[in-house]
Amino acid sequence: MPNIEDYEAMTKISLSEDERAVVSDYMDMLLDSFNKLEDTDVSGVEPLISVLDVKGPMRDDLVIKTISREELLSNAPEQHDGYFQVPRTVD
Amino acid sequence: MGLFIEDYKVSGADTVALEDSIMQKGKQVTAGSRILDNFTSPFNATVVDRLLDGGFKISGRTVMDEFGLLKLSRDDDNTPSGALRAVSEGISAYALCNDLFGRYRGEAPKNDCCYIHPTYGTVSRYGLIPLASSMDQIGIVCKDLSQGFKLLSHLAGKDPKDGAMFPDSSYNYGTTDEKITLGVPRSVVEKADEGTREAIMDFIKEFSSTDINLEYFDLYNQVMYILSSAEISSNLSRYDGIKFGYRASGYTNIDDLYIKTRSEGFGLDAKLTAIMGAMILSKDQYGPYYEKAMKIRRLIKESVKFDTYKVIVLPCRISDDPYENLALYSLAPLAGLPSVSFSYKGHGIQLVAGVKKENLLLSTWEVSMA
Repeated sequence: MPNIEDYEAMTKISLSEDERAVVSDYMDMLLDSFNKLEDTDVSGVEPLISVLDVKGPMRDDLVIKTISREELLSNAPEQHDGYFQVPRTVD
Repeated sequence: MGLFIEDYKVSGADTVALEDSIMQKGKQVTAGSRILDNFTSPFNATVVDRLLDGGFKISGRTVMDEFGLLKLSRDDDNTPSGALRAVSEGISAYALCNDLFGRYRGEAPKNDCCYIHPTYGTVSRYGLIPLASSMDQIGIVCKDLSQGFKLLSHLAGKDPKDGAMFPDSSYNYGTTDEKITLGVPRSVVEKADEGTREAIMDFIKEFSSTDINLEYFDLYNQVMYILSSAEISSNLSRYDGIKFGYRASGYTNIDDLYIKTRSEGFGLDAKLTAIMGAMILSKDQYGPYYEKAMKIRRLIKESVKFDTYKVIVLPCRISDDPYENLALYSLAPLAGLPSVSFSYKGHGIQLVAGVKKENLLLSTWEVSMA
């Protein structure tokens, strides 16, 4: 069983004790169900990443106006001088 | 709980409700999550623009489970989701939503509604809050499939803003003269309750049919969960409290800001999915889980050939366990196929056809309703 705290750290989520108990139970159930995959031989099979056989479209590299800086920043929890504001990241 | 987050108080045959995962310019859009608290959409989803261009009216924004995630708990709450109620109660003629895990496809028949899950890559996802990007697909709740497909004709067609689409600029859905042969996976149908089994047997009498074996069916829900949680976990990483949405207060540094924001902003299902996805994508588990599931996804897609049969018939429920039921709703998203679900003699039936074979689904439904 993987260490759940490691994955909490990885996903920047801190579970309460109650949540950890519930998540842990579901993880056990899910991982147990995943064992069924072992019986299937996939040698020589390529992973299917997209169901579409269509080649990714290309477009001209043009500068186009989409959303203004003001509109984007209007959703920011905190902003300062036209930038997203974050706590100090470098000491 | 009400069914509308915002009710625009319009009614009529041309009204469409939007699940709260579909962006609408100037409106608060939260996908049912606190993490998107106070988020105002700066643009319209392509489907919203196409609705408005087609003369449809938006009736409101409906409540939803957080991000439309799979709820693993055996929920005693049988209240239908907002989008379903909006249509079943006659408040809106249609509703648009993203049904990845089968909630709407399962609920629609029980509430005298139908659901259309179009072929992946035919309806633009631009402006849909992403869940599992390789499977996300906006679908339609409606009272009548022939009307629902008329609406779909307005929505479907290539959008340069969505990079994963077929090149067809438009689709004109209708019935077809193509011969319909139903494929009936007996081993799956046998898992349904007696009433549903009888309804399916009655349903197939109207058509020529053949027994089929849905290879890998026992792995559908595992593959679906593994791939979707990996993609969802990745998509949830954007919610960090910096650029938009909820930001916790009282943080001490940047890391603390991320952790408090995500721990307070996400509900339990989002936390479980993010953690499962991170585990599945981690160095040790990537090969046995993620890569293997992607390979089995190919086997699943290639196993449904639509050669001796053209339409697969499935029940809408085989268990009280949501995880087991997920298998019923995995084929369409995993293989990018269209499906419809509806009530037949009081029981839920689901039909799945080949890529861009929506017309076969509509024809099958029309024959059964005649």
